[in-house]
Amino acid sequence: MDKRSNYAGSAAKQLGVYAVYLAVAMALIVYILAFFAGTSGALINGGAINEERNSITIALAEEPPQLDSTRATDASSFIVIAHTMEGLISYDDNDQLTPGVAERWEIRDNGATFWIREEARWSDGLPVTAHDFEYAWKRVVDPATAGEYAFILYPIKNAEAVNRGDLPKEALGVRAVSDLVLQVDFERPTPYFDKLVAFNTYYPVREDFFVSTNGRYGADADMLLFNGPYVLTEWIHGASMLWEKNPYYWNDEKGFLDEIVIAYITNDVNANLNLFKDGQIVQTSLTAPMLPTAMEQRWQIDRFMDGSLFFLEFNHREGRVTENLNFRKALLLAQDPSELVYKVLKEASYLPAESLFPVWIQGLQGAFRKEYPVPEHRMDLERAREHLERAKLELGINDFPPIVLLTGDSSLSLLAAEYYQELFKKNLGLELRIDAQIFKQRLAKMTSGDFDIVMAGWGPDYFDALTFGDLFSSWNLNNRGRYQSEQMDDLIRIAQSELDPKKRMDAFSSIQDLIYEDVVIVPMYERGISFVVDPRLKGFKRRSVGPQVDYNYAYIERL
Amino acid sequence: MSVLTPADFERIQYHQKTQNISRPSLSYWSDAWIRLKGNKRTLFSLYLIVGLLAFTILGPVFWNVDPAFQDLDQVSQAPGTSRLAIIVNDYEAWNGESDISIDALRLVDRATTMAVRLKWDTLPNASGYRVYRNIFPVGPEQAYGIPLVEYFDNTVLFFEDRLDLKPRRYYYSVVPMDDRGNLLDGYQSIAVDPIRVTTLDEARSKGLLTNESTLQAGDSINLSLHPLGTDYLGRDMLARLMEGARVSLFIGIGAPSLFILFGIFYGSVAGFIGGRVDQILMRFADFVVALPFLLFMILFKIAFGIGPGESGIFPMLVALVVLMWPATARLVRGQILQIREHGYIGASQLLGAKTNYLIFRHMLPNTLGVVLVTITFAIPSAIFIEAFLSFVGMGVAPPTPSWGSMSNEGIKNMLTSPHELILPAILISVTVLAFNLLGDGLRDALDARLRNQE
Repeated sequence: MDKRSNYAGSAAKQLGVYAVYLAVAMALIVYILAFFAGTSGALINGGAINEERNSITIALAEEPPQLDSTRATDASSFIVIAHTMEGLISYDDNDQLTPGVAERWEIRDNGATFWIREEARWSDGLPVTAHDFEYAWKRVVDPATAGEYAFILYPIKNAEAVNRGDLPKEALGVRAVSDLVLQVDFERPTPYFDKLVAFNTYYPVREDFFVSTNGRYGADADMLLFNGPYVLTEWIHGASMLWEKNPYYWNDEKGFLDEIVIAYITNDVNANLNLFKDGQIVQTSLTAPMLPTAMEQRWQIDRFMDGSLFFLEFNHREGRVTENLNFRKALLLAQDPSELVYKVLKEASYLPAESLFPVWIQGLQGAFRKEYPVPEHRMDLERAREHLERAKLELGINDFPPIVLLTGDSSLSLLAAEYYQELFKKNLGLELRIDAQIFKQRLAKMTSGDFDIVMAGWGPDYFDALTFGDLFSSWNLNNRGRYQSEQMDDLIRIAQSELDPKKRMDAFSSIQDLIYEDVVIVPMYERGISFVVDPRLKGFKRRSVGPQVDYNYAYIERL
Repeated sequence: MSVLTPADFERIQYHQKTQNISRPSLSYWSDAWIRLKGNKRTLFSLYLIVGLLAFTILGPVFWNVDPAFQDLDQVSQAPGTSRLAIIVNDYEAWNGESDISIDALRLVDRATTMAVRLKWDTLPNASGYRVYRNIFPVGPEQAYGIPLVEYFDNTVLFFEDRLDLKPRRYYYSVVPMDDRGNLLDGYQSIAVDPIRVTTLDEARSKGLLTNESTLQAGDSINLSLHPLGTDYLGRDMLARLMEGARVSLFIGIGAPSLFILFGIFYGSVAGFIGGRVDQILMRFADFVVALPFLLFMILFKIAFGIGPGESGIFPMLVALVVLMWPATARLVRGQILQIREHGYIGASQLLGAKTNYLIFRHMLPNTLGVVLVTITFAIPSAIFIEAFLSFVGMGVAPPTPSWGSMSNEGIKNMLTSPHELILPAILISVTVLAFNLLGDGLRDALDARLRNQE
């Protein structure tokens, strides 16, 4: 017995020694691997802010599919393009229009003229000319380009016809009178054209360079030419990017940093939070569950409204129960957006939505929503049930079939979907089926009309009420529910071309009322984002129109 | 050569009584049961499993709460939180009016979980204000907390907070801004302790009040009881765990029983017939092993026409049964092949036993030990598969919970309300552990070679 225990003891000792060896060896391997992993990345970053090199490190949510400004449609591309390119007009650090490549401009009823500044240069040193804009715009509306944002050029004469293929692209109403003068003819009066040209799709492309890339324009760092404050010098797909100061850029009130390193491409909010905590990136967004951590870390939390509106959009196509007005009214009356925002989503920066037009839309003098208040909404279950009964009579059914609620796959949209599911079951006895899809699939289903209700969102493309106002016109392809009403179309036509601001705003107000009366949508919330920025970085902007994050005016504060 | 007479064929009488030394005959099963009982670990796991079944089947009888009901007054509540609330009148919108004189940041009315109303006086140089809420005092870093609102208008001097108010201490700050939204010095701060409230309508809709109740505004009332707390939509965790157990155990027990039955049949046919049939059958089993589970799960989902928002539990069951049987089939076939060559089978055959008798009397009972063990190990793996598939969103459709989908939801709020993740995770772990321990014990108990060793 004694011997055996001795034997067991020495065996255990031996095993213990092996375990120690193993632990040491593993630690060594981990260390060595980590060392090599560190050297393999081309862009080694020295923390969020490197004062010596005057550089900052940031993270990007997604990899841009490509960076051709005439074809870009996603937020990540917009962010990169906003730092590397410049349009005729741009926004300053206070969201006001400011001259960009155009020194001055003139907008008339039937057209516009832009005078381009002589000192504007491409990143290879050659001047930016009016021809570059003419070439780019014709490319956007060329059906062969298949630009999804071509519609934003429709105010230009013949743009729609060219885009449909009815006219050759030479017929587009834009012409470079000389190297420095660009002449635009309008299809209809477009008083907000200055706001439009600040948008990405209106940015220039130089013909000779474009031709030389042989169809690969925008696919890589060396397949692009820039005219903005920064140039994209390195682009390792799926991993990182490097923007460097553009030596040829004309404006010394923009682009103060020597380098912006995009060291991380991830849309994992928790990963971003940890990177920020570790001092690896200068800025990150915060979702509701992260706020206690942020408060504990004593960060100075900031927020901004990103301008977008989220809503339940009904399918107005024939054969759907959602086509019935009383049914839609019942749903509208059985919910309360403030309960959704304050008790379910709990996002500090969200605002319960009341109208198609977000609070920030400008009216005649002040805010549109102050000048034209929305019809007051109150949850009213009795009336909701009355409408539901009426809908049953009109549709000639005893029970409603299950309603398909199409939604995104993010945790917030699932949360809202589950809330609505129980809410409409409890209040109206309706069965909702949640169809959660990734963005592309959801878009495909929205386009083909494969839903009853969809949780949709719309972000502004330019600073004008029309960016929301024309959403439910019968010809707008983004009107996924195919809502059609002559009254709406007439109002939108007035809003598009009326020159008297008062009449135009009245039209928007009527649109707002019509949306409520016809229950085209049920507004959910206006989105805002809470975020933190490294306190040493100043001048950083988040925008509702244009790029979501803007480092063009950012600089490092030296102590 | 002697001659045999009929007398030689007389039965010999038993005349000698020998001492009879024997013990009561022990069948295979009673022996196994005795050894199982002797193993404390296994016995414990057996109790656990019985407890789990009771929790699933009997639980909802005693705790009859709708697992889909959303109690938005008690969202993400940890177990054992106080439930006392004061009844107040219905919410009325507030336009900033109040009778009290305002010289600094002040609280208007009583702070409740329904609304906290603040007013302040004009701050010097301010062109606008931003209101913050913090759970810590502001301190020298001027970390004001969560920005709740900003007014680019220095005449708006009130704010109403309704965002997710809990009965705890908040520090509100109002910070002056210049006309471009930059923060200026000279903030004011105030500590606020909202009390938990509810309205009569709310209380009535939750069944907390009878119609004859004379309670009115100002009285206190206990909100609905949630012994294990609530989830992110205020749904009762206990009721959801019970309902989730139903899904998890349905898959966990249903799928293995089905595919093991099929595996036994398939394996014994292959093993018994042997030869070329065996070769073909077993190569087909190899083929099935190579099929990817997730892909088939998706294919079945489509083939059964499971639309969006409908439960994927049935295709999951089918996919499990269709793809998981080969392991059992192989095991049984091996056993049968072995048993077939044993002497007692030959003897039985010589004595004229039919094939049916051979299979059911001699072969299957001898494979049962192996099969039982496979079942107990297959159950936890099926529960895991269900939990994983529901975790990635391929299983149950909301609002039906399963332990896997509950963990998936819980992980999002892990930092703020850990019980939403921990409770289902513990149940998954305990169930899987219990079945594994039982399987371990059964293997020891049923192994005939270990018999009589103690």
